[in-house]
Amino acid sequence: MTRIDQGERAAQREQGRRAGSGGHHAVGDTGSGRPRGRPVGHAVLRAGQGSFLVHRRALVVGVVLTVLLAGAVVASLCVGESFVAPSEVLRVLLGLPSPDRLVVGTLRLPRLVTGLLVGIAFGLSGALIQTMARNPLASPDVIGVTHGAGAATVAAMTFGLTSYTVLPYVSVAGGLLAALLVYLFAWRGGLAASRFVLIGIGISVALGSLTRLLLTKGDYLVAQQAKTWLTGSLNGRGYDQAAPLATVLVLLVPFLLWAARARRGSAFDDDTAIALGIRLDRVRVGLSVLGVVLASVATGAAGPVDFVALLAPQIARRLTRAPHIPLVCSALMGALIVVIGDLLARRLLSPLELPVGVFTALVGAPYLMWLIVRTRSSRSGGTA
Amino acid sequence: MSGVARRRFGWLVATFLLLSMAVLLSLAVGSRAVAPSVVWDALLHGGDSADAQVVRSLRVPRTVIGVMVGAALAVAGTVLQGVTRNPIAEPGILGISQGASMGVVCAIAFLGVHSLTGYVWYAFVGAGVAAVLIYAVASSGRGGASPVKLALAGAAMNAFLASLISAILTTDARALDEFRFWDVGSISGRDATIAGQVWPFLLAGLLLVLAMARGLDALALGDDIARGLGRNVALLRATGALGATVLTGAAVAAAGPIAFIGLAVPHMARALVGPGHRWLLPVAALLGPVMVLLADVLGRVVVRPAEVPVAVMTALAGVPFLIVLVRRKAVAA
Amino acid sequence: MTGNRPTAPGPSRLAARRLTLAYEDRTVVEELDLDVPDGKVTVIVGPNACGKSTLLRALGRLLKPRRGAVLLDGTELARLPTKRIAQVIGLLPQTPVPPEGITVGDLIARGRQPHQKWWQQWSETDETSVSEAMQRTGTADLAERPVDELSGGQRQRVWIAMALAQDTDLLLLDEPTTYLDIAHQVEVLDLVRQLNRERGRTVVAVLHDLNQAARYADHLIAMCAGRIVAQGAPGDIVTAELVQEVFGLASVVVPDPVTGGPMVVPGPLRSPDGTSAGDDVPGGAGGGATVPAARDAAW
Repeated sequence: MTRIDQGERAAQREQGRRAGSGGHHAVGDTGSGRPRGRPVGHAVLRAGQGSFLVHRRALVVGVVLTVLLAGAVVASLCVGESFVAPSEVLRVLLGLPSPDRLVVGTLRLPRLVTGLLVGIAFGLSGALIQTMARNPLASPDVIGVTHGAGAATVAAMTFGLTSYTVLPYVSVAGGLLAALLVYLFAWRGGLAASRFVLIGIGISVALGSLTRLLLTKGDYLVAQQAKTWLTGSLNGRGYDQAAPLATVLVLLVPFLLWAARARRGSAFDDDTAIALGIRLDRVRVGLSVLGVVLASVATGAAGPVDFVALLAPQIARRLTRAPHIPLVCSALMGALIVVIGDLLARRLLSPLELPVGVFTALVGAPYLMWLIVRTRSSRSGGTA
Repeated sequence: MSGVARRRFGWLVATFLLLSMAVLLSLAVGSRAVAPSVVWDALLHGGDSADAQVVRSLRVPRTVIGVMVGAALAVAGTVLQGVTRNPIAEPGILGISQGASMGVVCAIAFLGVHSLTGYVWYAFVGAGVAAVLIYAVASSGRGGASPVKLALAGAAMNAFLASLISAILTTDARALDEFRFWDVGSISGRDATIAGQVWPFLLAGLLLVLAMARGLDALALGDDIARGLGRNVALLRATGALGATVLTGAAVAAAGPIAFIGLAVPHMARALVGPGHRWLLPVAALLGPVMVLLADVLGRVVVRPAEVPVAVMTALAGVPFLIVLVRRKAVAA
Repeated sequence: MTGNRPTAPGPSRLAARRLTLAYEDRTVVEELDLDVPDGKVTVIVGPNACGKSTLLRALGRLLKPRRGAVLLDGTELARLPTKRIAQVIGLLPQTPVPPEGITVGDLIARGRQPHQKWWQQWSETDETSVSEAMQRTGTADLAERPVDELSGGQRQRVWIAMALAQDTDLLLLDEPTTYLDIAHQVEVLDLVRQLNRERGRTVVAVLHDLNQAARYADHLIAMCAGRIVAQGAPGDIVTAELVQEVFGLASVVVPDPVTGGPMVVPGPLRSPDGTSAGDDVPGGAGGGATVPAARDAAW
């Protein structure tokens, strides 16, 4: 009996469907014209032939971060051994004559610029690597760059090489070499994200232990110097360090623009991404190589400023509530963390100057934890 | 099916035999090589010969601690990877080891504690406090302690504590000088007292975790399915986190941070017996000590008469194994 | 197998030639030839692990063939840029994973990805395709909701909407009715057929339910152990013998009371003498009357 009942009901359904408006009459179809197709939360910018999707909230967050960053920059230039009025700082920045030109323009600005660029580079690097790895724990730390640079630099220091003109090259080389090793071992007919991260962290841990071993080999002065470098420091850094970093950032801009687009599809699982026509291997290699290069050059400039690359993208993502890690906001967030961190490092225990890396995480980590505490629920327990 | 079960059982037996061999090697090999028969004799009948002294007063405690630490970290790593569903979660990256380090740094810098046995309780308390904070952060807000929130809260805590430690050490050179030797992670110079201090925690942690093996299997399928299977997901996570913390705390207290075991051994064990936790946990618990002891033995002989600390050696010697095993797995797409 | 039944005239847009598929060292499909009839709904059925999803994955270039090739308009898939393929073949995998925290509207819009360029991220066509996809699937009201918070059925409709937004001539669906209750299953399948009828889309779907397959397929492919056992119009090929051969299930095939097509009714339940009554009842010819009797006997 029941079987036939079902059959009848199905027949009624079928008829109802046919009798309807002809089209598919789905639940929730209000019939009041077409629904808007444009993705929710995005605005479309049109310019001639071009059209660009902009995440609205990310735009707002970006503007706010820029304002905050500008504030932090001015504050950082005002505060130091002697206080300089913000108006004078602005005059110096605008190239107008000012009595504080030496203090602001020559002493404080170069260090600030380096910090800014380092923050941007680490923020971007973390965002790219976390996107590629689909893992919120990923960062240059995890894929060997930081620890490669660390091991190379500490080894150089332990064996008596302490020249600050040579060390940056050693660390850049160490970082790139370690990452290359990770690629070589992780590539097997393609670059699977999980394998890349696993092998990366394996090699990182090995290099990290090597670094700790080296730290016990030298005397404690070397150990302290190395520890400071390993934490990341802007002491004595200036345009000599900033210039190569700036060059690399400018050269990478076209690639970063590519990444900003390519990243959109890579947040899916592999099958869906391929179905959408995304060349996964190319995107993965592209995103991660960009991240690796940025992180190693930034590490060369200031040491592996702790955790900026890990924290900045996650903070930015939680602020923007975007379904992907926002690149520009991550860069701004990274810069903000480093600038504020350096301000604290210079002034908190003055005249003693601490390495900036001590404060980047002290600033960033509690903020991220606070964001986690007040986060809205997310039912999916998957990866990032 | 029985073929699979037999293969798993085979691996369990094989890892057990490996462990026995590793224990024997650890007792026999060192800057003074002792024949296995002498080792046996010293263990059974005592004796006052120099060899017997070395074996009983130095190598036995060291080996016991190696076994304990290896098992604890491997199991803790397995559980954390299961609970957070993140393949790179391990006690180090999630900040638990860093908590222990924090405890030790405070003990050195502010409390004037300068002995390995003195560190133990501070390390343990540090790990516990860090873990509780991480869990508190991750489980507050709506949605509770989801895997992503747990992992992120752990990473943030790790970053926070690391910079606090840096702040203390860069301002206190003497503390750094002492801390760097603990921080490198080693099982040498530990005596029986330390083993006596940590074993009850270790045992409690192991039992707790082994009891929830099936629950971890359910968690691996996702929260919704686990709930559908009648599991209390929040309770499972909390229990897992507690077990992992106790184990990590005990291990780090005894030997300092040894990062590689918690990360790599779960993956190695998974490659051998698959993802089911009822097999995975015991095999990891056996494989962890094997790695620690073999690395330790290797560390004693490669640069004789000096020694390479076990944490460095496990990482260096372990990486090739990890790479081979990770590469062996098929590409998903 | 293939030769004795006429398939669609002319060369098919999507075809497989001597296709061998394998995971690691386990061969799943061997030397398979297939022409997907253009402009029709093709449904692949078969027991678990028969290789039907594997075949669909290969047709959608998610799995590289061990040997042989999948041809799209005569060109090997492996030789075509994946983005180019994505403009022609839309594909819904079995268990797609959304980016965390993404909204429904955003997810559906990502279906337009293959048609977009770096400097053209949102065109009028994008707008209409997405809006139409939402309308057809009834997901417009969900647009602002996070995908994570949807029920299984809603989520499945959203994924289908994404595949529709891709606006492709061919659509491959891997078990599109999983997670759906019976009403939504019917709704999705109606939608699929409607797309085919109104837009001339070629659809290939893997379905679990043999009766749904028989009802909605123009062209039914029955697979078993990695090979095609039979293919053709459901009315021609669905017989009790086929069901026995493919699923190892005794059954009676009766006319569907709604469509008149074949409908498979399992039974009689396993009898002690092994051979089932299905052997006695010729496919389809037995009629409805014998079925209750057979059931009673078995009970």
